[in-house]
Amino acid sequence: MSAVAETISRPEAAASPAAVARPRKRASRGLLRLRTPLPRGWGPAIAVGASVAIVLVWEFVARLGLTTPLFFPSPTAILSAMGRMFSDQHLLWHAWVSTLRVWGAFLLAAMLAIPIGVAMSGYRVIGAALEPAIDFIRYLPVPALVPLAIIWFGVGEETKIFLLWLGTFFQLVLLVADDMRRVPQEYVEIAYTVGANQGQVLKDVAFRAMLPGLVDNLRITLGWCWTYLIIAEIVAADSGLGFVIWAARRYMKTPEVMAGVVLIGVIGLATDQLLRLIHRRAFRYL
Amino acid sequence: MTHLQFDHVTKSFGAVPVVETPFNLAIDRHEFVVFLGPSGCGKTTLMRMIGGLDQPTSGEIRLEGEPVGAPDRRRGMVFQSYSSFPWLTVTQNVAFGLKYRNDLSEDEKAVRAERYLDLVGLYEFSDHFPSQVSGGMRQRIAIARTLAAGADVLLMDEPFGALDALRREQLQTELRRIQRRDAKTIVFVTHDVEEALFLADRVVVFSKRPTRIVAEIDVRSRLGEERSLEIRDGEDFFALRRETIGMVRAAAGGEL
Repeated sequence: MSAVAETISRPEAAASPAAVARPRKRASRGLLRLRTPLPRGWGPAIAVGASVAIVLVWEFVARLGLTTPLFFPSPTAILSAMGRMFSDQHLLWHAWVSTLRVWGAFLLAAMLAIPIGVAMSGYRVIGAALEPAIDFIRYLPVPALVPLAIIWFGVGEETKIFLLWLGTFFQLVLLVADDMRRVPQEYVEIAYTVGANQGQVLKDVAFRAMLPGLVDNLRITLGWCWTYLIIAEIVAADSGLGFVIWAARRYMKTPEVMAGVVLIGVIGLATDQLLRLIHRRAFRYL
Repeated sequence: MTHLQFDHVTKSFGAVPVVETPFNLAIDRHEFVVFLGPSGCGKTTLMRMIGGLDQPTSGEIRLEGEPVGAPDRRRGMVFQSYSSFPWLTVTQNVAFGLKYRNDLSEDEKAVRAERYLDLVGLYEFSDHFPSQVSGGMRQRIAIARTLAAGADVLLMDEPFGALDALRREQLQTELRRIQRRDAKTIVFVTHDVEEALFLADRVVVFSKRPTRIVAEIDVRSRLGEERSLEIRDGEDFFALRRETIGMVRAAAGGEL
């Protein structure tokens, strides 16, 4: 990048002293060129800088009194609300309960979706039989099924797990089936021609080949779980972050509502980054 | 001695015929046969049927007199792309050819894998992943894996199609050397006339569909058994090439 800026600016710099300010202008235009790569280390710096800037602007606007605290509290107000909630309202415990629900439902969905998805694209018969039903259920909005879930399971843990599972399993099955479908036929045939049987082909080749895509899809699906969690916890719960947010709303405690939302965001971001890191480590060969 | 025999083989995929006229061909043991023909003429399908990866609609393919069945490690496949597993190192890829053999101990497998790794000149890259080596090396991995598996028939589907001219030449020379040394029967599919002539003992020229054999060129009697880069620059090679290109053109029916 800097090398590009230099070569572009050199003639002008030699031509006139007024050109001193120009290279910077040229450089920034360079950054906004379609698909220009960022210089090393700039990506994270810009990400952090922009995020901090947004929070600062927000804080500034709130402090100036341009917003009503009741509707749009400042970041510091949210932060201090969060601190109070940690000490007085067991926020950490609620977060833990929510996390357990998300992972419980997510693992249940994954454990079922992986074998079924693999079977669906590995064996055309199974795919043909299951795809219409799964495709249909996939398009049902989860909130619409809340009443049914309550009729079936009451308002206990099962309802929440069921709703989360419902929101992820059917999507995941089709994603897994797609991952499996994308395994090059060559890999499968290579395995057969060195004497592998069907089970070995599935385990040693197909599954290994689809694994990076699968982990990516699991990561994305885990994010959806949080969306459905809040719906489930708002409707029927006396614990969890969704419950906390909904309870705070009842008393118009906007900072607490936002603190709950922010915490979900933080947990989501941290999990996502962790899974990305694992992905990079586990699939170095890519 | 006949190693492989096509006996009145036809093939269609559903209602789409690929090989309509019954196909007959006998391939000798240790013979290097190249299937040469325009794209989509069915030459790859015929080769895949030897491997048991496709089944003939009618007729029979025999390996050492026995009808071929499901794929096994006597018939190894080398593809143009996706020819090695990206998650395995070079050594592990070669060793994959031995993975499902119960007749060898783990030590014997390791020794064998190393030997073939050496044979294709990849010893120094043993711990690299395929993504870290060149396309030519990836094809060598595939060849080594197939040899390590103990295949005595190598089925190669345009294996050098994605390589640059120099690497191609190099790998062709090597493949020919390995074939002489290890006495393998090779069926090699390509649409590159020069490659066909340089490698083959015999070139089978296919027509466009409906598939039939247009000509069989006995390259061995014209160019001899040893193939070197000098042969490639010689008068005989050029003459043969000119002849063959003429046949291919005629076979393609002006659609080249």
